[in-house]
Amino acid sequence: MSSKINIYLIKYAINSILRQKYKTFFIVTIFTFLVFLLTSIFFITNSIRYELDSTVDALPQIIVQKIKAGRHYDIDVDKVDEILELSGVSDAVARVWGYYYFENAGVNFSVVGIDKYENQYKNSLQSIVNKFDFEESSDEPFMVVGQGVKEVMNSSYFKEYFNFIKPDGTLKKVNIRGVFDSDTQLESNDMIVMSNETIREIFDIDETKATDIVVKVANPQEVSMVASKIKLMLPDSRIITTQDLKISYQNIFDYKSGVFLALFIVSLFTFFIIIYDKSSGLSSEEKREIGILKAIGWRVDDVLKEKFYESFIISFFSYMLGSTLTFAYVYIFQAPVLREIFVGYSQLKTTFELPFIFDLQTLFLVFFISVPVYVAATIIPSWKVATLEADEVIR
Amino acid sequence: MMIELKNLTKIYELNTNDKVIALKDISLSINEGEIVVLKGSSGSGKSTILSLIAALSKPTSGEVIVDAKQISKLPDSFASVYRRDNIGFVFQKYNLLTNLSVEDNILLPLIPLNPSQLEVDAKIDEVMKKFEIIHKKDTLVRNLSGGEQQRVAIARANVNDPKIIIADEPTANLDEKLSLNFIEILRELKSLNKTIIIATHDPLFFGLDFIDREIQIDNGKIA
Repeated sequence: MSSKINIYLIKYAINSILRQKYKTFFIVTIFTFLVFLLTSIFFITNSIRYELDSTVDALPQIIVQKIKAGRHYDIDVDKVDEILELSGVSDAVARVWGYYYFENAGVNFSVVGIDKYENQYKNSLQSIVNKFDFEESSDEPFMVVGQGVKEVMNSSYFKEYFNFIKPDGTLKKVNIRGVFDSDTQLESNDMIVMSNETIREIFDIDETKATDIVVKVANPQEVSMVASKIKLMLPDSRIITTQDLKISYQNIFDYKSGVFLALFIVSLFTFFIIIYDKSSGLSSEEKREIGILKAIGWRVDDVLKEKFYESFIISFFSYMLGSTLTFAYVYIFQAPVLREIFVGYSQLKTTFELPFIFDLQTLFLVFFISVPVYVAATIIPSWKVATLEADEVIR
Repeated sequence: MMIELKNLTKIYELNTNDKVIALKDISLSINEGEIVVLKGSSGSGKSTILSLIAALSKPTSGEVIVDAKQISKLPDSFASVYRRDNIGFVFQKYNLLTNLSVEDNILLPLIPLNPSQLEVDAKIDEVMKKFEIIHKKDTLVRNLSGGEQQRVAIARANVNDPKIIIADEPTANLDEKLSLNFIEILRELKSLNKTIIIATHDPLFFGLDFIDREIQIDNGKIA
């Protein structure tokens, strides 16, 4: 037999696929959906992991909090000077921040205070300071809010300003000066940025106190050593390093990816049920066809080649279709429904975009757990029938 | 092409306790170009003889020798090649793929040979013309009448130009007129010096001038 590709065999395989259009449609639909679900899960988790890593990398290297009776208390601002004297410390900033519960919507806002003349501990905050001229704040206090905050406030008719309720029960009116870009970072969606002076008044924090102190270390290799020095100097404090935060974020991520893992297992389980069903036997019509082909002179390997082409065309087409749909679903439509499982650190949904990551490894992985498995599940039962005596099959 | 059956016995084992003896120690020779009718009632063993000659199954004991080659012990892949090169089988129920067109059904035996387009077109056109089915070339087989389906089956059996034609109850599903048409086709094939073996209990085949031999099979034995 000629070693060149047998076009007639391929044509026959395509014809066979088209002949069984309802069965083919069913298999392609299920297969495409499973590939779509699997690749979507991988793509979304990869994108979110990437986004989380970027977020964690932007966090302060060391955070110093005062602890009393196991609880977080405001720290003295003058500790900043003491910390700055430690060797290895390049900068230290006292932060004033807190959570403000907005009862109307049942959500928490993260309120962050900034000082125009201080270096910000975060690039995103620095860009907000640069973009919205905080120096102009004279008599009228103002704030810049995340997209999610803006939407919540709008729905409660606070379009121009917002009245914060202070601990003593009186109101503090703060104008809304602007909104961050919705695609800045995961955490900015529920954030409100205002001057230190305003936030101190809203949360009733004395000028000598701060919520915590963030510390910048010149050499990243020395973070743990500097953290130990601060702990020695301030024994009543809790020192949180980027590494600690990374672990904490990872725990949240792992918890959420558990839900995805469950989806993943369900998808795989469904896929293998189909495969099991397929490999457990051929229909009488399929058996008869193989018997006829053998009876008119097809060899076992001719039958298997035809079945290979048939199953490969179906599974590869479904795989390509599923993967293409995934790209569109995750990166163009931003994975509606599935991403809801992940997003939202606080009660506000974040509106960040899933960054495009062309993950060849995932594409290969999904290919290898779907296409060859399906091809094998088609070929094995066909081989079992093809090796029987033709007379036995067609009789 | 000389066919020799030597002491053929075929036992079908339905399960461990249930066996059917289809053939009992049959010996028979068929000469090249000869046309032989195997006659007998249903279940007499006629179809089993055809199946063994076509290497569709293996005998329990005995030998099938075709052109001095023992084909009863051929491994599966060689048996397929033997069928492809030497045998044209017209089955009782035609065994066509009914959701394929006439042309695609006739093409089937040629596919493993991976022939050129020209070769395929020439062969298929030739047999379709010869067996008067070319006008239905693109029709799905399931939309054909019984007689037309039989013509497709005969065309498929002849597309490889085999030396041996085997027909199992070829007129079982045809009316008398179509059966006589089939007999005329056999006459033509005989003129091409093909060895033809027909298993039938249709009396139309008995006593025909171009039939060389009629062999009665009863209960798995030559009567």
